[in-house]
Amino acid sequence: MRGSLLHPARIAVIAILLCLALLFGAVIPLHRTGQIRGATSFEEGTWLFLPPAALRVASLGFRTVAADMAWLLTIQYIGSHFATDRKIPELFRMVDTVVALDPHFVEAYTLGALFMNYSGRNVSGAIALLERGAAANPTRWEPAHDLARTYYLDLKDYRKALHWFEVADKLPGRPHYVPRFIARLYAATGHQDTALDLWRAMRDSATSDWVREIAEREIAKLEAERHRPSAGGAR
Amino acid sequence: MRIAAIALNTFREAVRDRILYSILAFALLLIGASAVLASLSIGQEGRIVKDLGLASISLFGTFIAIFLGIGLVFKEIERRTIYAIIAKPIHRFQFLLGKYIGLVLTLLVTVGAMVLLVVVLAWAIDGHWTPGLLAAAALDFVALMIVTAAALLFSTFSTPTLSAIFALGTFLIGRLSGDLKIFADQFAGLGLRLIANGIYLVLPDLSRFQMGAQIVNGLPFDSAQIAGTLLYGLAYILMLLSLAIGIFQRRDFK
Repeated sequence: MRGSLLHPARIAVIAILLCLALLFGAVIPLHRTGQIRGATSFEEGTWLFLPPAALRVASLGFRTVAADMAWLLTIQYIGSHFATDRKIPELFRMVDTVVALDPHFVEAYTLGALFMNYSGRNVSGAIALLERGAAANPTRWEPAHDLARTYYLDLKDYRKALHWFEVADKLPGRPHYVPRFIARLYAATGHQDTALDLWRAMRDSATSDWVREIAEREIAKLEAERHRPSAGGAR
Repeated sequence: MRIAAIALNTFREAVRDRILYSILAFALLLIGASAVLASLSIGQEGRIVKDLGLASISLFGTFIAIFLGIGLVFKEIERRTIYAIIAKPIHRFQFLLGKYIGLVLTLLVTVGAMVLLVVVLAWAIDGHWTPGLLAAAALDFVALMIVTAAALLFSTFSTPTLSAIFALGTFLIGRLSGDLKIFADQFAGLGLRLIANGIYLVLPDLSRFQMGAQIVNGLPFDSAQIAGTLLYGLAYILMLLSLAIGIFQRRDFK
């Protein structure tokens, strides 16, 4: 044992020698090659995104960890293009992998859809992703809220925006402004009476002067518009 | 009392094992590194620390259970100390139970250290205490107890290398047997479905003990499901220990 290569005193020396060999034989030459060739494009690394079904098995049940790792790669992918060409064609596939591994990763739906919409100009992809998020997380307001925002701001589809704001309104933790959007969208979709009822209810139950003032202003505006049927629009 | 003495002795022996400290050091390093990795995410720091922390506890806890568990009986035979022990007025089942409890105690201490680090990191990042983390770690500990019982079972009749392969196989199958149930339900033929379901029932389903998804996504816990999982784990441990005792009782040490 004393002459053996695996003597405890020699193992540390062997380990250090192996580390040095690896450093000078592989790490440094590869680093230099990388510098000569230029930075490796991120797409070369996206092969890591196997089909979700395969990743589910490969993750040995640690699916949320696999989803986190896939999410970190997605962030890197977005970041690498955000400051340059702003082209992110792989984003849908990447976010799809993340949410297939963890369907309850709400931020992956909302942030993924946000970048898909505003950087990738893929509104339909963003909506598909958010609808999937809303279906998988019926108790979370975020996907419904973001769907409403996308329909409202990007597609000007006030009916669908109203539907999704109403869905978000019923869910705990939703932003305080959602009821005001609902009232405005009722007015924008031609339901002035419903909008008036909602604003009056808001005025009567308001706990802050600020909300009461907004409600009174909107009520006055709607009542004035009753005499001008061509007017209207959500803000 | 005899079981307690053997358990304490096994614990003392295990905490002197260098492999325990190597694995624990790697686990603590990975858990600590998760905080650095988390900073790369957009607002998901707490999620990543909890997720990686729980996975590290499960993975490194399994390594500890396997690498210490496989040598429990074999070492006694190799050193011939087993002859001195079985010559004493002590039942073989007491010896085996003592060994098991001692290893579980070792796991409790090491897993406790890992849990503490995860809880502190999560607290520092989130700014609030996540009690669910302890529940998730406790449930995961029951899964580790199953793997320990499996390692002990294999160590009663095979060499440490084979025991390690069998125990690691049990862990891998256990992690994936939940998928087997899903596949079984998708089979069109009744025969295949019954076979797949039968295999699923025999194999341990370690995926039942994972609560990471609920913790990181803030989903509610189902108390009845947790109680059912605990009962399942207890039943499986009793079955594995009974098998190990049965084999060990019949073993001839002459």
